[in-house]
Amino acid sequence: MSEEIISSLKSEFADSILKVFLEDKKILVTVKKEGFYDVLSSLKGMGFDHLSDVTCIDYIKEQEFEIFYHLWAHKKKLRVSVKVRIPRDSSSIRSVTDLWTGAQIHERENHEMFGVNFPGNPDLSPLFLEDWEEIPPLRKDFDTRKFVRRKYYGEE
Amino acid sequence: MKSNPEKEETFVPFHLPFGPQHPASGHFYGSVKVDGEEVVELEPYPGYLHRGLEKLMEYRTHIQNSVLVDRICVLEPFSNEMGYVNVVEKIAGIEAPERAQSIRTIMAELGRILSHITWIAIVSLALGLDSGARIALGDREGILRLNEVATGGRIYPCYFIPGGVRRDLPEGFEEKTLEELDYLKSQLNLYDSLIFRNETFVTRMSGVGIFNAKEAIALGATGPNLRGCGVESDVRKDEPYAAYPRVNFRVMTMKEGDAYSRVLCRRGEIAESISILRQLLQDTPKGKFRIKMTTRTPKGNAYFCCEAARGELCFHMVSDGTDKPYRVKVRGPSFSHTLSEFPYLARGAQIADIPAIYWSLDPCPPDMDR
Amino acid sequence: MGMMATFRSIVKRLRGILKPLVISRYLTTKPMTLRFPEESLESVQGYRGRHLLEPEKCIGCGICVSVCPNNAIELVEFMGQRYPQIHLGKCCFCALCAEYCPRNALKMTRLATISIFDRPSAVYGPEELSKLL
Repeated sequence: MSEEIISSLKSEFADSILKVFLEDKKILVTVKKEGFYDVLSSLKGMGFDHLSDVTCIDYIKEQEFEIFYHLWAHKKKLRVSVKVRIPRDSSSIRSVTDLWTGAQIHERENHEMFGVNFPGNPDLSPLFLEDWEEIPPLRKDFDTRKFVRRKYYGEE
Repeated sequence: MKSNPEKEETFVPFHLPFGPQHPASGHFYGSVKVDGEEVVELEPYPGYLHRGLEKLMEYRTHIQNSVLVDRICVLEPFSNEMGYVNVVEKIAGIEAPERAQSIRTIMAELGRILSHITWIAIVSLALGLDSGARIALGDREGILRLNEVATGGRIYPCYFIPGGVRRDLPEGFEEKTLEELDYLKSQLNLYDSLIFRNETFVTRMSGVGIFNAKEAIALGATGPNLRGCGVESDVRKDEPYAAYPRVNFRVMTMKEGDAYSRVLCRRGEIAESISILRQLLQDTPKGKFRIKMTTRTPKGNAYFCCEAARGELCFHMVSDGTDKPYRVKVRGPSFSHTLSEFPYLARGAQIADIPAIYWSLDPCPPDMDR
Repeated sequence: MGMMATFRSIVKRLRGILKPLVISRYLTTKPMTLRFPEESLESVQGYRGRHLLEPEKCIGCGICVSVCPNNAIELVEFMGQRYPQIHLGKCCFCALCAEYCPRNALKMTRLATISIFDRPSAVYGPEELSKLL
């Protein structure tokens, strides 16, 4: 079953998909930013109806963010992870809230923690932090220890 | 929305805060807009327990992190450790010995029973049934004592470590656990009479907070919340890990999708966990309980999901070749439950149903905020 | 049909209302709580309480300093050699320092009741750590 999915993805989206392979009973797909929405929507049509997580990783040396979408199919019992790279300055990627309703809250958290914009998401207001004036905290150029020393202990 | 067309008044909703200073709300603030007795909208404001654990984990080595991970979901001690330790072993490419896998499964199932008993205490407290709360909190003591004997700590065990477990089970642990399981099995009958078949409880929980399987999956429900809608999905059966391939158990599902069916799913899971533990304690394999792991892990990505008491708990780890992780992302089960499903289910309910719906979803705020 | 069904539903509801009275058996059992501090719960062998240092075994290697997750341990000069000093306010009692000590000089005891009045007295130097009072 995984082989059929891999071959159908390869044939249908040959130009958007950079790499797709099976590792340890899980399918891993690397896509380009331009075609990622069509790949995800075709995967949803194949039965991947549960979106577990939307993860963002900050590769500061390459000046890119990498966004992962982890999907699970309840009927077929298969897992797929799709990864996309987007540039770090003015990062923005289309929201997938219209495919999976539960994605709205994951994207809201990533927007607050990394500063990635998701046009199409109905609500991107701050979630956990109040009156936050620094850069988004989970980025690699934010040092929590220096921040705590400066703000709460008055050291420089 | 009521509006008198002759007077043309505009509708101003009344704002009722549900928590955080509220006996039935936990560490969570939900801003409820009501029109008379009916809820129009519920807006969640999480973040009371946000400690920035994902960032803190990037400054510590893997062994130091295995102590920090306990704090992700306080009410259920061993599931976070299970997820973290397995994802590190996946990246490092090692596998813990068989005795360690068995011990990990035994402690994880004890943690699941502990979490469900705490949930029984809180759900009866939230609905006004004080006796259920006091009796259930007293019954937790038996399992906390077993934790103390095996690991040295009651609430934060710090027991699993990449490569195995830190100590072997002491002498006489199996007998003590079997006695405790007999006691808990007889207590389940008491909870049935007191709580689960109590006329008031059943009336308050039936028919509220209904959603069907399609809506539940779209909103990201997992665990007993999804199994209450009839979907048979359990990570322990679909992608087995630790010693679960060796045990037989049923996956509890109910059909109706309302709050009472979720409650009954959890009550059934306690009985199933007791049976799993009896099977595991009969033949624990002998041998080593820990193997050494290298300090540095190779470069790579790993994603591991395990079944916590509340749902699917997933860890995504990226390693860059040093001894500290580059990025750790924790997907807590209560994140989707409290922030996606609760506002959806509370719309159109009565004010008195809000604690019933909230606690039938079994939220854990530290899990949600990390 | 109407009378029997109504009667049965009344019986079922009465049962649901009167069944919880089984908990009245707790009126005659021993209470689950204890009157602290006259009675208290004994912690078991292997509990992770306060540390105990044996200075004659310590070699001052510093492994406990590097393995502590919270930077709670520092090495200080005491009687001509370096020994650990632990800030019990930062310590999370995980026992990694005791486990990784190569000479078993640092152990965890069963002492769980520690109280202080001000933050600086939470720092336990080598002399206080070696006494179990």
